[in-house]
Amino acid sequence: MRIARGLCLFYWKLVVASLLFSLFLAGLGSGSVPFFIGTGFAFIFLTPVFHYLSYEVNSPGEYYFFYNLGLSRLVLWVSTLIMSILVGLSIMFL
Amino acid sequence: MSGLHADSIRKQYGDRQVLNDIFLSCKTGEIVGLLGRNGSGKSSLLKIIFGTLSADNKFVSVDQRLMPSLFSGRDLIKYLPQDSFLPAHIKIKYLISCFCGKAARGLVMADPLIQPHLEKQVAQLSGGEKRLIEILLLVHSEAKYLLLDEPFNGLSPLQITAVKTIIQKHEAVKGFVITDHDYPNVLDIASRIVLMDQGNTRVIKDPRELIQFGYLPKSSLHIYAGGETNL
Repeated sequence: MRIARGLCLFYWKLVVASLLFSLFLAGLGSGSVPFFIGTGFAFIFLTPVFHYLSYEVNSPGEYYFFYNLGLSRLVLWVSTLIMSILVGLSIMFL
Repeated sequence: MSGLHADSIRKQYGDRQVLNDIFLSCKTGEIVGLLGRNGSGKSSLLKIIFGTLSADNKFVSVDQRLMPSLFSGRDLIKYLPQDSFLPAHIKIKYLISCFCGKAARGLVMADPLIQPHLEKQVAQLSGGEKRLIEILLLVHSEAKYLLLDEPFNGLSPLQITAVKTIIQKHEAVKGFVITDHDYPNVLDIASRIVLMDQGNTRVIKDPRELIQFGYLPKSSLHIYAGGETNL
C-alpha cells in the first residue's frame, strides 16, 4: 500500500505536466491528426521526457525518498514506460 | 547473529581502493558513530549497505537475512542522504503516511516539531526544518536500522538537541549508524565509534585515539582531557 502511495506521489507531477503539454500539442496538430490520437501519442513520448527532466536533471536527490520506500531507479523507469504506454493508449481509444 | 552486519565490502573508484574489506555491525540499542576525513568512504559505505551503490564485493545481512537489494531491505533499513530528499511539491501530511505505520502516524502528526508544518509543501520549509522532518519521518518509520549521513548538517543548536533527544529516545528499539563532521555531537550520543581511515575501519575506545590516528587536530586534546562520552 505504501509503495502504491509512493508511486502516486512520484507520478503526480509527471502526469499533470505531461497531460497538459500533450493536450497543447494535440490542439496544435488537430488539423492533421485526430485530437485524442495526438494527445495519447504525445503522452507516451512526453512522460519519459518529463521523468528525465524532473528526476534525473532537476532533483536527483528526490530519488532517495522512493529508494526509502523500496523503489529502485530501474523500477521507477520501467513503471514510467509502462504507465505512459497504458495511459497513452487509453487516451487514443477514447 | 542478530543485527545489521556488513562484511567484506570492497569498493574501488578508478585506481583508488576506497573501501578495503570493510566490516561494520550495528545492533538495536546501539548508536554507531562513523567518523572519517572527507573522501574516506563513509557515505559510499552507507549507500552500499542501503543498496543504492554497487560494490565490488559486499555481504549485508539483517537478523540473519541476506539483503541483496534495495527492495529486500525496504522495511528494515532506511537511509538519510546528505542532501534533502523529500519531494518538493508534496505536503508534509501526505509524506507521513508513506513512512509511518497507522499507529505511528497519529503520534508523528501530533509531534510539536511537525504539527505546524503539516499543511506546508516541502518547498516552503527552510533547510533546517526539512532536515528535522526527514529525520523524524525516518525515526518513526518501522525500519529497525537507520543510516544517517550528516544528520546535524544545517541544523540550529536547538534543532541538534532535538534530534539527539529523538535518536536517544528510539535507541532501545532501533540501531543507528551516524556519520557527521560535527564530531562532538556524534561522540555525545554514540555508544561506539568507528573511524574510517585509508579504506579500513578502526574501533575507537578512547576519543583521544582520534587525535592519534590523525582525524582530530592535537589542539582538540583539551576537549577530551577530562570530558565524558558514552564510549
